[in-house]
Amino acid sequence: MRVANWLKISFRLLRHELKRGELTIMAIAIAFSVASVLSLSVFSERLQAGILAQSSEFLAADRVLRSRQEIPIRWIEQAREQGLQSARRTTFNSMVFASNELALADIKAVSEEYPLRGTLEIAEQPFAQGNATESLPVPGEAWVHSGLFQQLPIELGDSIEVGNTSFVVTKVLIKEPDSGFSVFADAPTVLIPYSDLAATGLIQPGSRVSFNYLFAGEPEDIDTYEQWIIPQLDDLTQSWRGIRDGDSPLASALNRAERFMLLASLLGVVLAATAVAVAAQRYCQRNYDAVAIMKTLGGNNGFVRSIFVTHLLLLSLFSIFIGSVLGYFIQLGVGHWVAKQLAYSLPAASWKPWGLAISTGLLSALLFSLYPLLRLLSIPPLRVLRRELDGDNVKRVIHWFACGGGILLLMVLYSRNLTLSLALFAGGAFAAMVLLLIGRLLIRLSRQAGMQAGSSWRLAMAGMQRRAKENSLQMLSFATAIMLLLLVLALRTELLDDWQNQLPENAPNFFVVNVAPEQVSDMQTMFTAENIQATDLYPITPGRLVSINGQLVRDEVSKEDRDNSDVREGFGRELQLTWRSTLPPENNLISGRWFEGEELGVSVESEVAERLALKLGDILEFRVGGAEFEVPVLSIREVDWNTMQPNFYMIFNENTISQNSATYIASFYLPSERKAELYDLFKSFPQASLIDVDDIIQQIRGVIGHVSMAITFVMVLVMFAGGLVLLAQVQASLEEREQEIVILRTLGARSKLLTQAVSYEFIILGALAGFIAAVAMEASIYILQTQVFEMAPTIHWRFWLLGPVVGASVVTLLGWFSCRSLLRQRTGTLIRALA
Amino acid sequence: MAFIEAHSISRKVETATGELQILSNVDLSINRAETLAIVGASGSGKSTLLSLLAGLDLPSTGYVAIDNVNLSDLDEESRAILRGDKVGFIFQSFLLVQSLTALENVMLPAELAGVRNPEDHAKELLKKVGLAERVTHFPNQLSGGEQQRVAIARAFIGKPEILFADEPTGNLDRATGEKVEDLLFELNREFGTTLVVVTHDERLAERCHRIIRIEQGTVVNQNKEAEV
Repeated sequence: MRVANWLKISFRLLRHELKRGELTIMAIAIAFSVASVLSLSVFSERLQAGILAQSSEFLAADRVLRSRQEIPIRWIEQAREQGLQSARRTTFNSMVFASNELALADIKAVSEEYPLRGTLEIAEQPFAQGNATESLPVPGEAWVHSGLFQQLPIELGDSIEVGNTSFVVTKVLIKEPDSGFSVFADAPTVLIPYSDLAATGLIQPGSRVSFNYLFAGEPEDIDTYEQWIIPQLDDLTQSWRGIRDGDSPLASALNRAERFMLLASLLGVVLAATAVAVAAQRYCQRNYDAVAIMKTLGGNNGFVRSIFVTHLLLLSLFSIFIGSVLGYFIQLGVGHWVAKQLAYSLPAASWKPWGLAISTGLLSALLFSLYPLLRLLSIPPLRVLRRELDGDNVKRVIHWFACGGGILLLMVLYSRNLTLSLALFAGGAFAAMVLLLIGRLLIRLSRQAGMQAGSSWRLAMAGMQRRAKENSLQMLSFATAIMLLLLVLALRTELLDDWQNQLPENAPNFFVVNVAPEQVSDMQTMFTAENIQATDLYPITPGRLVSINGQLVRDEVSKEDRDNSDVREGFGRELQLTWRSTLPPENNLISGRWFEGEELGVSVESEVAERLALKLGDILEFRVGGAEFEVPVLSIREVDWNTMQPNFYMIFNENTISQNSATYIASFYLPSERKAELYDLFKSFPQASLIDVDDIIQQIRGVIGHVSMAITFVMVLVMFAGGLVLLAQVQASLEEREQEIVILRTLGARSKLLTQAVSYEFIILGALAGFIAAVAMEASIYILQTQVFEMAPTIHWRFWLLGPVVGASVVTLLGWFSCRSLLRQRTGTLIRALA
Repeated sequence: MAFIEAHSISRKVETATGELQILSNVDLSINRAETLAIVGASGSGKSTLLSLLAGLDLPSTGYVAIDNVNLSDLDEESRAILRGDKVGFIFQSFLLVQSLTALENVMLPAELAGVRNPEDHAKELLKKVGLAERVTHFPNQLSGGEQQRVAIARAFIGKPEILFADEPTGNLDRATGEKVEDLLFELNREFGTTLVVVTHDERLAERCHRIIRIEQGTVVNQNKEAEV
């Protein structure tokens, strides 16, 4: 019977309080934390799946196993048993003959299932716009790249000879999803059926062949297979690759975007949780009287506890329900918008985000309410006569433990990364303490300054000083919210700018390779005459690094070589070497100096220098064209590999190796509407090969487009969460302000004076919080840029102005909005409300 | 045997400047259905005495017994149950639960005591105090006098044997205050409830059977000996 009564009272309190708007902030805070976590997780899961699906097209699969020899058939059977699709792709270089002429080609033999991701594009003319196709060349036929039409006198319908077999060229191959990024090794592709491979007779023991096995399937099946196969691989001859592996601009863009999304989302969740904590405190304070009255009227502790725990639980469940509905529609709307913008529909999400969102709501509501609730339930009945009694001093450590533990738990749940969560949490806790101290100091200083000012300012300063403890806590939460907003805003700008700078509108979209030395000048003339933006033509000659300071380096990677401790780490392969008298664009010298005059020397790329433990002055021995020579390391360069221009590990001074034979390479930009001119433009350079990277660039832009939208969406959510914290915090301080306003009004203060005093107090609080936020943001962004996003650190001066201005404006606006009804009410009404 | 018995009760509290004696050695007996006014200057200890008599607080020394039950022998839970069974309260600041309507405020003590469907009884009481038309109003939609009448109806719903009133007319104008007083005494007569009123209002005190005056924590005068 009593059970029904406490449930009835709880439900009644909830219904009325929701209707009267008393629980609005608390309900919004919980609902928002659920909605934001749900929409963020669903959206990022869908987006990630979308990006990966789109990105997998770069591999033509989800994963690729590269091997120098055939793999055991058991491995492929295991993949099939695991529910994975598989395909074969075997590639090697070979000469191709037609009409007594020959050219080097990249032979690609593919099984019928190829490609597992992405599509091939073919055309009826070289360099024409491709059309997607689901088919493959049938036995006896070959599809060849446009470049081969430049090098051999062939047309569609003609035959080419590959090894012992001849193939009829039936289509021009315009695009392969897995054409890759490497420009040096690229010869035109000849695509033939896997079933014809044996007949060519080109696969012999010792041939340099790359056997590739493509796999695709559900992520969990892929993960299971990955865990099974990786331990069985031979590191020397086999590699397992996904789209995130490697140095491609796409992998780097993806990893960076994911880190940003994770970080910003974590901040959004922390902000929403903070809003719940502030609102919970206020919720409990508002109910002090109700608890005292119930206890006085005969309600025992258990009964009162049941009423308020149920009340809070009902409120949480209601808010979680609203938040879930809201979150579902937000992500649905954003998903539709993204799909419309990118003409690409996102895959569906799993149930996991729902579990995460609901546990976030419950954790936020219950953990952050624990301390205020304990305090509320300890309110003595005597409060009905002695209004100053506000409950036992329940140990604050419970509060910090519950809130801190709650935030950490949410971070771990969200990021599934304990190290990142602990690092952020520890950094945040330390920053909070520093901010708290700075806040109190600034409040003290502002009080002294305010004593010199007019009456409204003096009143505002006095108010701030009187509530110094509460105000410094309030300022801490204002500063945290503003700092996180500025941080997300600045990072978003930085990331997007950084990507935009890497791939500007006119980023080179073609590479031209194999340019003969005697054609360099003609090609430069052609670029100028045709108004084509091109990089310099770089000479390239193959060579090998033989020794470092007299110590031999590993060349061919073999087990014997690896076990030999007398040899140093080397490249293990042939290098493309170049020479130049000036530092190439997008290269930065980080140590040493550029070549002077005709001195011998080499400039080394920084990551290589680190990997090979090279330092300035080291003597490197190279073998180029049968001759060996030694050069000192004169400089170490940082290279931006994400730019679409020729980049080199080793650059020599002109006279060092320029006597060797070389071919030249350049990249250039040709607008898509001029692509049809390519054939004519390069007709007079038959030796040169063209590599079209436009598709790669477009795909990277597509991914960046996805990610930019996601970042914008996350930023909007974080801003909303920040606003919610500010509002909850302002609301929490209203009751005390109410009392002050009553006293001042009773003493004859005019509305204008009170409005000014309240506004000035919020202006000062907001501006100080904004200033602290800007400083803290600058420190945080420095760490994030250098440690997380691998970007060059920058100073954000405009945020130093923006912080205080935004802080003062937003806090004042919210403060004034919350206090406006108080300032308008008649003194009598206020007194009665406070009685 | 008196219905309420206070035996040599004292109350001390710890303050920042040391121990403060609020009440010293008060002896008091109150009979069933008696009306008693406790008067005295602000800070004299009136409200402290009321809180001890009602079991809201415990004396530092001495004891209070209601209906032969020593309150000091009871824990907080048992005292709450005893209050729910036997005691009603009216406060100067009304102390209605702001989130509940007038009707729900009146029903609250009955529901806390586990009574099922107290709605009819609550409506009857609200009608008795002249608020039949205001049952769905929230406290902030009622005037001070109306709020106090709701508080009176709330106090009587559990048919208390004793009613404690702390400055019941202190927040009301004279005319409203008189109406509330009339209602209080009328219900007191109707239900045969013992009434203990803390007040500054001499006129209200005069309507009680007995007046005790407190100065600096001690009873200095008792007049109008029980006429019950």
